[in-house]
Amino acid sequence: MAAIEVSGLTKRYGDVVANEDLTFDVREGEIFGYLGPNGAGKTTTIRTLLGFQSPTEGTATVLGHDVRDEPELIAAKAHLGYLPSDPGLDQQATGEEYLDLHASLKGDERRGELLELFDPPLSRTIREYSSGNKQMLGIVQAFMHDPDLVIMDEPTSGLDPLKQESFNRFLRREADAGLTVFFSSHVLGEVRRVCDRVGIIREGRLAALEEIDDLLERGGKRVRVHTDEPLGDDVLDLDGVVDLAREGREARFTFTGNYNALLGALAGYDIVDLEVDEPPIEDVFMHFYGER
Amino acid sequence: MLDLMRYESRRRIRGTFVLAVLLGLFALLMIGLFPSISESGADFEAYIESLPPAVREGFGVSGAAITTMEGFMSTEFYGFVWLLLLGLYVTYTAGGSVAGDIENGQLDMLLAAPVSRAQVLLEKFLSLLTIIVVLNLLMPLFVYGGTMLVGESIDAFALVAVHVLSVPYLLACGAFGTLLSVTIHRADVARRGGIGALFVLFVLEAVATDTDYEWLGALSPTRYYDPAEILVEESYDLAGAAILLTATVLLLVASRVVFERVDV
Repeated sequence: MAAIEVSGLTKRYGDVVANEDLTFDVREGEIFGYLGPNGAGKTTTIRTLLGFQSPTEGTATVLGHDVRDEPELIAAKAHLGYLPSDPGLDQQATGEEYLDLHASLKGDERRGELLELFDPPLSRTIREYSSGNKQMLGIVQAFMHDPDLVIMDEPTSGLDPLKQESFNRFLRREADAGLTVFFSSHVLGEVRRVCDRVGIIREGRLAALEEIDDLLERGGKRVRVHTDEPLGDDVLDLDGVVDLAREGREARFTFTGNYNALLGALAGYDIVDLEVDEPPIEDVFMHFYGER
Repeated sequence: MLDLMRYESRRRIRGTFVLAVLLGLFALLMIGLFPSISESGADFEAYIESLPPAVREGFGVSGAAITTMEGFMSTEFYGFVWLLLLGLYVTYTAGGSVAGDIENGQLDMLLAAPVSRAQVLLEKFLSLLTIIVVLNLLMPLFVYGGTMLVGESIDAFALVAVHVLSVPYLLACGAFGTLLSVTIHRADVARRGGIGALFVLFVLEAVATDTDYEWLGALSPTRYYDPAEILVEESYDLAGAAILLTATVLLLVASRVVFERVDV
């Protein structure tokens, strides 16, 4: 059974189509990255999965329970954690009181252990919290009932880089122990560090669904080549040369085509210097979004 | 069960006590004024009697009764503070209950837990009892104690009755605010809409009395709870209380139906 099964999910707000005919699965025990720029419809999908809003067409199941059926979904929520980018916390409560409330609603067998990793000042009121502390409190409430699935919407936005790193390591460990994670983000670097698989959403539609390794492979290589004579069209017109920039006898481009064809064409030149690198992950992203 | 109600009630307790003390002091101030007003009784009665019938109805008491402690308090305190101000306060608070949580994202966090929307709604509504119960327990003590202090007397049974019978009225106000809160998801609009609507109904009920449009006043919850009638005439409108309780249940059922279907 898939942890999340989305089938033909469409959500419209009046004339605005926020999600259109989305279909994908999230497998048990994987960290699934849900990637897209702001406004692509990521939060809409998440809010539909959690039953905050009902789909216009299609449906989804969460831990085997249909999201359109409230009693069913409540059964799933006992084993589900949720962490939004800016968790709506009661400003007047202390961190302790807030966790107590959530403990009474869903349980807190892992609270102590989590508070050793993420340590917001529990005795202070949430009003006084920094965004990092709020996010840490959000993390604790999302994981403290030992859920089987955690749905997160841009979860690391408020955390400093160090806490982000320790959160990513924590996620990895939890996933190895069987937790399924649905992780939305607009930062590819983050997704590459933690996710097994990604779905890329663009203007409400699923643009790609890839293993993270395949995604990097499809992204090609970043090439910088310095030749005696400027490169001619035999190289620059090859299939798969994109993002070309030239400066005198030096050329930089991303290459997504056949490596043999590239090397064959380059063999006709006297090469002074050559670098072939992993592309920045943001460039990979561009291939799904940019029209280049 | 009821964990959310307890949590929300604790959030309300401090504000409720502050309100109780302020209203208590106001009641004491009024009671302190009573002896001098009852001395100039005849003039005051004449003044009230000279008012147009609709305005007199707004006072809720006939001129003859204003010189008794019961009549005086029903006009100067219960008719305005309990009926109008407290009704508005409960409506306002209920109006923000769900809509406020939708606005600041707290509702998402709650609904991500294994609780039904019906339960969230009910527990939020029940937390209004903190306000209603605490105020109705403390205020009779202020009024009775104050009356003793100025050497006057007040009918203790009627005093208790005016508070007990305000509970269905305030519950109905809360249920009305709750319905607005699940329908209008902007907290400010729901709160202000609630107090605006209740105020209009209050005025309507007062001015429509003894006119051809008296039936319009039947829509107002203020029709079914009359502090002056209770305190002065010792007449207890139990049917009115039953109507208010029925309205409370119907408004809550409607709120539930709406809340279970809307996107939040």
